[in-house]
Amino acid sequence: MRMTTLLSGAAIAYSLAACSPSSPSQPTDEPSAGLEVTIHDGEFATIQQFTTPGGVSVWLVEEPSIPILSLRMAWQAGSTNDPEGLEGLTNAMVYHMNEGAGELDAQAFFKGMEELNMSFSCGSSNESTFCNASMLTDNVDPSFEMIATAFAEPRFDDGPFERFKREQTVSLQTRETNAGFLAGRAVRNALYPDHSYATETTAESIAAITQDDMSAQKDLLMVREGMLVTAVGAISPDELAPLIDQAVAGLPESSAAIEADAVVLAEAAADPIVIDLPQPQSLVSFTGPAMTREDPDFYTAVVLNYTFGGGGFESRLMKDLRVERGLTYGVGTSVRAGDKIQTWAGSGQTKNESAGEFIDGVKENMVAMVEQGMTEDELAAAKSYLTGSYPLGFDSNAKIAANMMGVRLDGLPVDFFDKRNAMVEAVTLEDVNRVAATYLNPESFTFVVVGQPEGLDG
Amino acid sequence: MKYRISGGLAALALSGGLALADSPTSEWAPETFTLGNGMDVVVLPDHRAPVVTHMVWYKVGAADEAAGKSGIAHLFEHVMFKETDDIADGEFTSTVQQLGGQLNAFTSWDYTAYYERVAKQHLGKMMELEAERMTDLIIDEDPEGSFITERDVVKEERRQRLDNNPGAILREQVLSRFWKGHPYEITVIGSMDEVEALTPQDGIDFYERFYSPENAILIVAGDVTSDEVRALAEQHYGVIEPSGLVDGTRKWTDVQPLTETQEITHSDPKVRQPVWYRYYNGTSVKRDRDFALALDVGLDVLGGGNTSSLYVALVEEQKIAVGAGTFALSSLHDQGPAAVYAMPSPGVSMEDLEAAVMAELEKQLAEGFSEEDVVRVRNSKAAGSIYARDSQTGMANQFGRWLAIGGEVEDLLTYPDDIRAVTAEEALAAVRQVFAEDNHFIEAQLLPADGAL
Repeated sequence: MRMTTLLSGAAIAYSLAACSPSSPSQPTDEPSAGLEVTIHDGEFATIQQFTTPGGVSVWLVEEPSIPILSLRMAWQAGSTNDPEGLEGLTNAMVYHMNEGAGELDAQAFFKGMEELNMSFSCGSSNESTFCNASMLTDNVDPSFEMIATAFAEPRFDDGPFERFKREQTVSLQTRETNAGFLAGRAVRNALYPDHSYATETTAESIAAITQDDMSAQKDLLMVREGMLVTAVGAISPDELAPLIDQAVAGLPESSAAIEADAVVLAEAAADPIVIDLPQPQSLVSFTGPAMTREDPDFYTAVVLNYTFGGGGFESRLMKDLRVERGLTYGVGTSVRAGDKIQTWAGSGQTKNESAGEFIDGVKENMVAMVEQGMTEDELAAAKSYLTGSYPLGFDSNAKIAANMMGVRLDGLPVDFFDKRNAMVEAVTLEDVNRVAATYLNPESFTFVVVGQPEGLDG
Repeated sequence: MKYRISGGLAALALSGGLALADSPTSEWAPETFTLGNGMDVVVLPDHRAPVVTHMVWYKVGAADEAAGKSGIAHLFEHVMFKETDDIADGEFTSTVQQLGGQLNAFTSWDYTAYYERVAKQHLGKMMELEAERMTDLIIDEDPEGSFITERDVVKEERRQRLDNNPGAILREQVLSRFWKGHPYEITVIGSMDEVEALTPQDGIDFYERFYSPENAILIVAGDVTSDEVRALAEQHYGVIEPSGLVDGTRKWTDVQPLTETQEITHSDPKVRQPVWYRYYNGTSVKRDRDFALALDVGLDVLGGGNTSSLYVALVEEQKIAVGAGTFALSSLHDQGPAAVYAMPSPGVSMEDLEAAVMAELEKQLAEGFSEEDVVRVRNSKAAGSIYARDSQTGMANQFGRWLAIGGEVEDLLTYPDDIRAVTAEEALAAVRQVFAEDNHFIEAQLLPADGAL
């Protein structure tokens, strides 16, 4: 019974190949004897690095135990490239990447993927565009045919485009009562109102987008030059290389995509910013400055963040605001060390009546960390968790493919996974307390409260 | 709002099983055994990374609560992270995390589960900790102590999960009506009033009654062998005496079918996108597996994603809805509802939406399914079992959920073959039975505060 399905799936996909433009330079049956593979036998994964004959750089982990392949493809350019007045264009483009291609309209494309038991979809952030796929290794040939056709001949048909616009109309409405969205907007407007990262899609910008705009945006963002691929599954480099070349054959060679200027944060707001939303519980968020990944203090901040607010039940904020005071179900902080924007931010929810007490509690914990610093025991506990838990991120194909892509997008080396724990271990108490004094002053943070809070002095 | 792979809530209820004859991993198999004190053990080997997932499932949940004590099963789950004879308050979590472990727990109507994910050399320590809190938990009876603080935390959890969320408030009302008089009637986290009144003594009673090895299932997934797990389990859990208070009976009972058609509307100023639902009598995999599998396939053909017939007709062709589909709660021990839902496109009234959905549903039930659609759906579900093996925790959860309600391992192993054996006629008959014209249902609407769209 299964063979029947595979054949029907294969039949659809091969019919695709017949109508997709043939690749100008990468015959798929070329013997790959020339493929140079560099093997990095790391502690968490054995990573095979190679460049396909078509010029695409790939990191592959072979994992034979389950007959699936997890594939990630990414480009270091994203929605920063949306022209003024066309905000949402990159998002619109990636939405359509699995909504029909070549001879297949959206329904036929979806059914083709279902018949192959594969998934393929694309997304974007400010500075990246990416496509993720998973497939059964029995079906890699027709599955890659689907991706190749999507890359070469996306249709941007009227039907999906109109649906996208209807969904956006809904989304523009629903975001106005979404506490998380409202908090994020308040932070953006307070800390970098004039940067492109603070712009939002509007009804007008969505209405202005055309199918030609999407097609041009795809050619701008999804090109062969600089494309990054990571893969984990039951497949060898010789098998994978021609499939990837076939997939990307229809992409332009290069383009002139831009990146944003670095965000410079404004001074923190003196008083909490309150956004009214009728609900029994308030969302409290707080945002201050942080540092880049390259900054020598980055790993110090990671360790400090664990103890302050990032370590789940082991963080000071959770121990105090949840366990001791019963004020919240959860509170957490994280360091965003982006290339263009760096923030140290946290949030939690508490009943409206205790919003003031919650904010006071966060500030008290900041002051205590700045003034007294961490203890040796806390430092040891933080390092112990951060290093000991690292292998948990490598127990599935999907996680390994994602982690490798994270490393590649950050421009880190192939031995990063092996060296990362040593960088955590090298953090000293002196480092931590210096970084706490630099970054965790309550005056550095902009507090935003969404709900109907009580007990706020401001 | 966009579905990539056919599925939905119905798939959650049933996704299960393993790659069998047609994959190179067909030799993969779980191992099961039972300790002398009655504790069941399942080992799910996965040697890709030196990591294990250790779970203890207790066969007790919100359905077992005494009248007026709603929420005790879940609050008690929180309390299990507090003090024991040998573990100081806060030490359980700090011990696990300092070993690089991740941990949490969750409560359903049917079960309560606790888990840790750690490097494999710490498996024995995880068992030592779980065994300790199975036997020697200390419940703080101080009226201002940790039990009471945790009760406040749970009230915040309820506000966060339910009371802040208009869709969740409506769902709570609908399910409460659907399960009127059944142990599932009150939502797992409990009603705010009854949670507020829970006392440390309620916790003590609950612990003594339900927490013992013969009422527990151990699941270990990851880089271990059955022999290793057996030796460690004997050492840590095997020495615990059964309480003798567990007789295997639960409060489970057949859910009485709806006897009248009802309407529930929830209006809220936060609602910007209205949603329309009809909840019908459904089933459960545990009580009627063949019917549940057929219904699952039928619901997916009708409304399981963006190639489903309702979605295509209402969203793609008529454009009257921005979303439409079907789902069912079939993974509980007792019967849950099966439902059809739709979200109107901007400017479309709920009356017009309802008329369009029901007309389309009736048309498709009358016309029947294409063989092609049925084959595609059931093969997607079977393939889901292969993808499921990529997640160690997902596998552990799947076995735990099914065994905790009295299911057999064998059912999960044969799932891909069983789902592929569902015929188009069976799938159609199942949805025709559920959505028959003279059946009673609960119609639910989520609306903006002023009733306008």
